[in-house]
Amino acid sequence: MSPLLSIEGLTKRYGRTVALDEVDLEIRPNEVVGLIGQNGAGKSTLLKLLAGVQQPDSGRLVMRGSPIKVRNPAHAAEQGIGMVFQEQSLVPNLTVAENIFLGRPNPGTAGGVYKWRRLNALAREQLEKTGSEISPSALVQRLSFADRQMVELTKVLALEERTDGDLLILFDEPTSVLSAAEIETLFAQIRRLKRRASIVFVSHRMDEVLAISDRIYVMRDGRRVAERDAAACDENELYSLMVGENRAEDYFLDADRKPYDRSATALEVEGLTAEGSFSDVTFSVCPGQIVGVAGVIGSGREALCRALFGALPTAAGRVRLRGEEVTMASPRDGVRLGVGYLPAERKHEGMVAERSISENLVLASTPALTRAGLLSWARESDLVEGWIERLGVKAPSARVKISQLSGGNQQKVVLAKWLALPHLRVLVLDHPTRGLDLKAKTDVYKHVRAAAARGVAIVLLSDTLEELLGLSDEIVVMRDGRVTGHFPDVPDTPPSSEELVKLMV
Amino acid sequence: MSPVNISRRKGASQRLDIGGYLPAVLLVVLVGLVVARDPAFLGVASLRSVAVQAAPILLLAVGLTPVILLGGIDLSVAALTSLCSVLLVSWANQAGITGVAGVVALATAAGAVVGVVHSVAQVPSFIVTLGALGLYSGLSLEASDATNTPLAEGSPAISWVNDYFAGIPAGFVFGLIVLAIVGLMVRFLPWGRYLYAMGSAEPAALMSGVPKIRVRAAAFALTGMTSAMAAIVLVGRTSFGSPTLASGLLLPAIAAVVVGGTAISGGVGGVGRTLVGVLTVTVVQIGMVVIGIDPVLQNVIFGAVIIVAVALTIDRAKLSVIK
Amino acid sequence: MTLNDTITPDGEHVPAVRVPHARRMSRLLPGRIDQLAPVIMLVVLTAAFSMLNDQFMTADNWRTIANQAAIPMVLAVGLTFVILTGSIDLSAEGVMASTSICVSLMLANSLNSNDLGLVAVAGGIAIGAVFGLVNGLLYTRLRLPSLIVTLGTWFIGLGIASYVFPDQQPVVRDRSFRSWALGEWFGVSRLVTIAVLVVVAGAVLLRYTRIGRHVYGIGGAEDLMRLAGIRVDTYKTLAFVIAGALAGLAGLMATAQLGVGNANAGADRLFPALSAVVLGGTHLAGGRGGVLQSVLGVLVLVVLGNGMILSGVGPYVQQAVVGAVIIVAVVATGWGARDRLRVVK
Repeated sequence: MSPLLSIEGLTKRYGRTVALDEVDLEIRPNEVVGLIGQNGAGKSTLLKLLAGVQQPDSGRLVMRGSPIKVRNPAHAAEQGIGMVFQEQSLVPNLTVAENIFLGRPNPGTAGGVYKWRRLNALAREQLEKTGSEISPSALVQRLSFADRQMVELTKVLALEERTDGDLLILFDEPTSVLSAAEIETLFAQIRRLKRRASIVFVSHRMDEVLAISDRIYVMRDGRRVAERDAAACDENELYSLMVGENRAEDYFLDADRKPYDRSATALEVEGLTAEGSFSDVTFSVCPGQIVGVAGVIGSGREALCRALFGALPTAAGRVRLRGEEVTMASPRDGVRLGVGYLPAERKHEGMVAERSISENLVLASTPALTRAGLLSWARESDLVEGWIERLGVKAPSARVKISQLSGGNQQKVVLAKWLALPHLRVLVLDHPTRGLDLKAKTDVYKHVRAAAARGVAIVLLSDTLEELLGLSDEIVVMRDGRVTGHFPDVPDTPPSSEELVKLMV
Repeated sequence: MSPVNISRRKGASQRLDIGGYLPAVLLVVLVGLVVARDPAFLGVASLRSVAVQAAPILLLAVGLTPVILLGGIDLSVAALTSLCSVLLVSWANQAGITGVAGVVALATAAGAVVGVVHSVAQVPSFIVTLGALGLYSGLSLEASDATNTPLAEGSPAISWVNDYFAGIPAGFVFGLIVLAIVGLMVRFLPWGRYLYAMGSAEPAALMSGVPKIRVRAAAFALTGMTSAMAAIVLVGRTSFGSPTLASGLLLPAIAAVVVGGTAISGGVGGVGRTLVGVLTVTVVQIGMVVIGIDPVLQNVIFGAVIIVAVALTIDRAKLSVIK
Repeated sequence: MTLNDTITPDGEHVPAVRVPHARRMSRLLPGRIDQLAPVIMLVVLTAAFSMLNDQFMTADNWRTIANQAAIPMVLAVGLTFVILTGSIDLSAEGVMASTSICVSLMLANSLNSNDLGLVAVAGGIAIGAVFGLVNGLLYTRLRLPSLIVTLGTWFIGLGIASYVFPDQQPVVRDRSFRSWALGEWFGVSRLVTIAVLVVVAGAVLLRYTRIGRHVYGIGGAEDLMRLAGIRVDTYKTLAFVIAGALAGLAGLMATAQLGVGNANAGADRLFPALSAVVLGGTHLAGGRGGVLQSVLGVLVLVVLGNGMILSGVGPYVQQAVVGAVIIVAVVATGWGARDRLRVVK
């Protein structure tokens, strides 16, 4: 049977990071292809290239035997490719009906005039496919998240009537916010759609992928590492393919792991709750200890980290720093209390791209570097030179713009910004190695270990379980905003990846 | 919602940083053009008239520069200057130097309040300052009953403006001193660092604990203060206060800042560049008369100059969705 | 990676901050207070002024209010389109000035022998539309902030008006043109009828046409509209053209009232119109509000001004009060949307 879509040697780079590396996949007519992999494995990137949200650097797509280009999602839709986005693509202040037909010619809006009754009737027809009773004239922003997901799905299903050939429908983690009943509806739709469409289904939940898929591709580090028939494999096999077995002990610098002071606590979190993000989270970190937080998207761990730094308001619970209860109304309070936060979005929240290395490095500790209220350039330059040397930042001088450095060196400067804070007690690392190459990653590990050895308490979020297991002294697992697991002694009795994943999803 | 990648944004990251030399070259070329037409332009008398004309714009533009470095705008400066001119005349007539100091303090406080409202309530600076513009013009019309009020003879607290210092009009020297002080503040205070950090990447600045409310309040307070100072210079020159005294100065002041090479998108530029911008704007104003261009076209030229200057200096990569 | 992620110009991946949906929802849900606020303000002001002054609640006075509201309404309708897309248009005063001078010279007037009648009227609207087109093109093609573009064209408009302005003020002698302001229909100036027609047309356009719906969508999520293949720049430009044409119409209306071509025809018009739009509950960030809200905003301001005059408050204090009211209104409507990490410039 000739494939509906062949993906040949598809490659996508972001700067120096290779998000997709020569990926070949084949999607046959009328089948459901499952796509699994850890965060950063390249699944979402692949879907975005297929849907035209981004363009590949090299490789090609062959649909129904002829090569195609997908310029943008509208263009994709014309060629029968639709995507159900994870973060939705609905315009919030337009109605459900408008969103379903947005940018698509239809009899309800012919000639630029909206015949609302007609449009709503057409939308209702589409909505009935999912058995949903959402009103077509409701504004999307008033719908619940799950309802919006249904509208998103309906919008893609509306492609059916528009194209004659087989459709390709991409689902990026469609189930993460749906109830069990809604998931059943979705699966029923997918099975119905199979008669005239092929489906690519991305999910964290192995059971779902196994239940709905005919074939499964496993991705890791931007590459396709395995292809399995869903009927011929089980969850355990998929887990190990996803995680990989290539963990080298010294990669995480286990030798640098220092025993930490268990008698004191640097950070205690008790019953911490933030509306809509996480609730009743309790754990503590000793000086010099690295506590990893595991969880998938929607687990609330990112929000937790931001709350620890004062960037997100909390509704209940306590935070104690060295035994003293604190409240943080802003990141500024976090910084003053000695909490540092290395954001996942380095370019956006980590660095001031247009300013020098030096200015970036001292941005958080500027008040500590003044004499009589004036900047002391001598002290600043000493401090900056010291950290550049200690962290091995490769740069012609501290005066060059940070944006001119490589990603790894930028990340070192951002890390140094926090390490240079004289009263740093707690450092929250939100995906500190995201987008870095292997060498840069090892460097970051080294400095994280060194900071811990200095007595800084570290909270770590990571893209891969490997990294989390390799660096942490203790691991807290979160799911749906709650703590679901706790492994107090990782080096001696490490949990298996499978154990962690089961607690995560 | 944050923006999605749109491929055409790639090419948009190029921005011409005209800050280095281009504005200075432009200034020299303009002066050259004017001199070619009228060699007497470089004489003492005409340079003095440039300095006199430039002084209030200089003060306003110096005050505006930190606000624009932050990526904000203050549309109320000229109206505040007019209000100050009205207050100055009556307070200086009554209380001399104390009255003048009182006006400066009041304007500084008014600016600070605008900055606090803008940053605490998270309302765009342009709308807060537009409201303030209405408020100030209403107040100055009311306070003056929409008439010009003359300054009493020999008000030493103000009339020094018309003296000469080393042959240079004192009002202009005053502007230069204020410019130098603000320049030093930007360079040597943490505030200056924060201006640039917030102007180029506010999320990153906030995530480093930069005190955003204080930084903004200080910038707008400074704008208020220099508006009052500009009023002193204007009242000194004209000997009266009027609710419309400075209404023509908003555009030249903004033009001066952006023509000097400070980007309206924030984070790039500085008060030194503003001096070049102020001189350019003044030479254009005076040069138009010399060259014989109808002075009523001034507004057209300034409007066009602002658009062109911003087009050349703006950092489009930073404004993912331009509104 | 999610749809909301950003790819920086050099291609590195910046994932979106995940705002918990509960909070995101509450931010997007229009509070009822928001929509009711202008109505409540109008009712409270009306009640207060009728208690303070016997003359307020008279048919005569309401006629005056209607006449005063006509021009601000036309301007506010145009501004609403632009603000709904999330942009801003400051050029109205310049456009009105240019239109007033040019049209008065095209109509039968005291200075030349032109007598173009309706052609001149169409010309005035066309001048405004061209201003709007220039605004829209500069804004979308050069990718400049609309604030700066329209600040520039505001003054360009004023400059053109003073450049075209002859030595003497042109007095309009076209009777039928003047009758638009002097004549009455339904007991009020005919200008009121024009304003009502503009409001109805604006409301219909926003509710029932692709232009209007896309204007909302662009204000709500410009990036997603682009992804859906909608020519966002075209619709943004159209919004500016509508605003410009209506500013041109407002210039005509002012000229009909004044009876002369006047470079000050637009003076102090922008600020009240902008205030009205914001007071009515149209959000500066775009996507929320509408023409009818703006009408409410205009009425609030006109009633406030009218009532203050009847209560013996001078026009200057009024201007100050309006300035204060707009700040308070913007602060109050935006208070709920404050967030620790929000960046507002």
